[in-house]
Amino acid sequence: MQSTQAKALDRTKPVYKQKKYNRSEVIWGYLFIAPSLIILLVFNFYPVLSGLGISLTSWNMLSDPKFIGLDNYSRMISDPIVPKIAWNTVYYTFLSVPLNVIFSLGLAMALNQRIRGISIFRTAYYLPVVSASVAVSMIWMWILAENGILNYALNSIGISPVSWLGDPKIALTSITLVNVWKNLGFNILIFLAALQDVPPELKDAAKVDGANNVGIFKHVTLPMISPAILFTTMMGIIGSFQAFDLVYNMTFRHEGGPARSTSVIGFYIWQNAFRYSKMGYAAALAYALFILIMILTLLQWRARRYWVFGEE
Amino acid sequence: MANLSVERQPKPGSQRIIKVASYALLVLGALLSILPFLWMISTSLKPAELVFSTPPRWIPNPVEWENYTTVLSKVNFAKYGFNTLKITLIVTFGQLLTCSLAGYAFARLRFPGRDVLFVGYLATMMIPFQVMLIPNFITIRRLGLVDSHLGLVLPQLTSAFGVFLLRQFFLSFPSELEDAAKLDGCNPLQTFYLIILPLSKPILATLAVMTFQNIWNDFLWPLVMLSSEPKRTLAVGLSYLIGQYSTDWQILMAGSVLTVLPIILLFFIAQKSFVESIKLSGLKG
Repeated sequence: MQSTQAKALDRTKPVYKQKKYNRSEVIWGYLFIAPSLIILLVFNFYPVLSGLGISLTSWNMLSDPKFIGLDNYSRMISDPIVPKIAWNTVYYTFLSVPLNVIFSLGLAMALNQRIRGISIFRTAYYLPVVSASVAVSMIWMWILAENGILNYALNSIGISPVSWLGDPKIALTSITLVNVWKNLGFNILIFLAALQDVPPELKDAAKVDGANNVGIFKHVTLPMISPAILFTTMMGIIGSFQAFDLVYNMTFRHEGGPARSTSVIGFYIWQNAFRYSKMGYAAALAYALFILIMILTLLQWRARRYWVFGEE
Repeated sequence: MANLSVERQPKPGSQRIIKVASYALLVLGALLSILPFLWMISTSLKPAELVFSTPPRWIPNPVEWENYTTVLSKVNFAKYGFNTLKITLIVTFGQLLTCSLAGYAFARLRFPGRDVLFVGYLATMMIPFQVMLIPNFITIRRLGLVDSHLGLVLPQLTSAFGVFLLRQFFLSFPSELEDAAKLDGCNPLQTFYLIILPLSKPILATLAVMTFQNIWNDFLWPLVMLSSEPKRTLAVGLSYLIGQYSTDWQILMAGSVLTVLPIILLFFIAQKSFVESIKLSGLKG
């Protein structure tokens, strides 16, 4: 009892100055983190190293992996499919992210107008987000089918049927738009929270200074919610670069889309690993993706100070 | 509403236009979000010969429940549903346990290497899933657990984000709470279990809802993990359904309804936790 009291007195010192650890607390600390640390070491840290190792081998999982140095990486450069994959991934990402941000910001701003029935709208927008991507794929495959309801509707206003998922020129755009549809609700809620945090005094002050709605949006609202825009863009890019589910399911009939038109890198990695049994090459592609995502994230993080409010 | 805007706005006319335009935009957006789901439900209740009827009919008449019995019995969706529920519950419970323990240690206990380890946790959030996919598949294969639910579940029993989320939450607790428990002779585990956890229900509910939704809908990892038919989850089973019933849309839509419905119900029950979970995921940035 006395020793605990003495320790309690010790607390008068700032915590960071206490150098000595309490032995039992240390043991408890390690015990507490042990379960999560072990799982994380085995299934998150180790893969980063072993993935790099696998990427230096030729391995079909039947025989032993054979070390081939950087061959997989140089193969990537000569692989005629890679430019196609890279372009599809970039197209998918840089179409879906801006569309998503613009639409969700617009809807969030509308929701922020002291609207009645806000929870009904919120629920509606959030349904696609909570739904499994496989089910979303099915629903849209049916809507977009050649004899589906969208072509019926277009036909009734005189537009001839479109092969939304079968035409190599259109398929990827269709999937990208479905992706926007699915994730809109997530960003709407992020933006709504950010908009609600904009202090009304700031807008009032701008109004007193004679600013109109456009001016208030440009000079008050936009800077105040710029951190949310940064967040949604970064998450959007990271997510889109790893896209798999919609592509896999919506172009199920011709794997990777008609004429490979919907193959994105996430899909090509899966295909190499689990269809062609090229583990080494797939791991190398995954590593290239990793590096690409890191560079993009870093660039955005660097660029933030030029446009994100509160970042010197 | 009108007098409110008169109070605050100098130009009620333009405000009204903005408001009307907002409603129009919101209703349009809501329709676009909901109509595909209604079309799914409607199709799932149609007899085969009415699926392609022109003009398309929104109200199925007669209502055909047969589609659901086909999916549940012939395609084993009942089994898939059970598998999914089992896997989801195990992972959710596992994550709550491992994340709250670690989160508490990182927030409240002092031990050497704590801060370095925590930065390591944060770093793992940056690793794309595809980078871990192949090595983890191989690890699970070495353990002889490919095509088992255990192999599927194992790598997911913790999440760095969950640890981070709970740590931030525990940091906000006043330390007097624990000091009192300590004086009463509680060890950290007792303090954690008796004092901290009961006070953390909202954040635990939020993490639970987030995890439940992610695991229920998860696709790529179960797809590569599970090869035998009876072990499939709903998402994987639904995906294989296209191969079997490629244009039987009423069957595919019935399968989709069964996959989506439990999560949507959960969403209605725990809407608050869902909304909170999104706002909190903003912390990632």
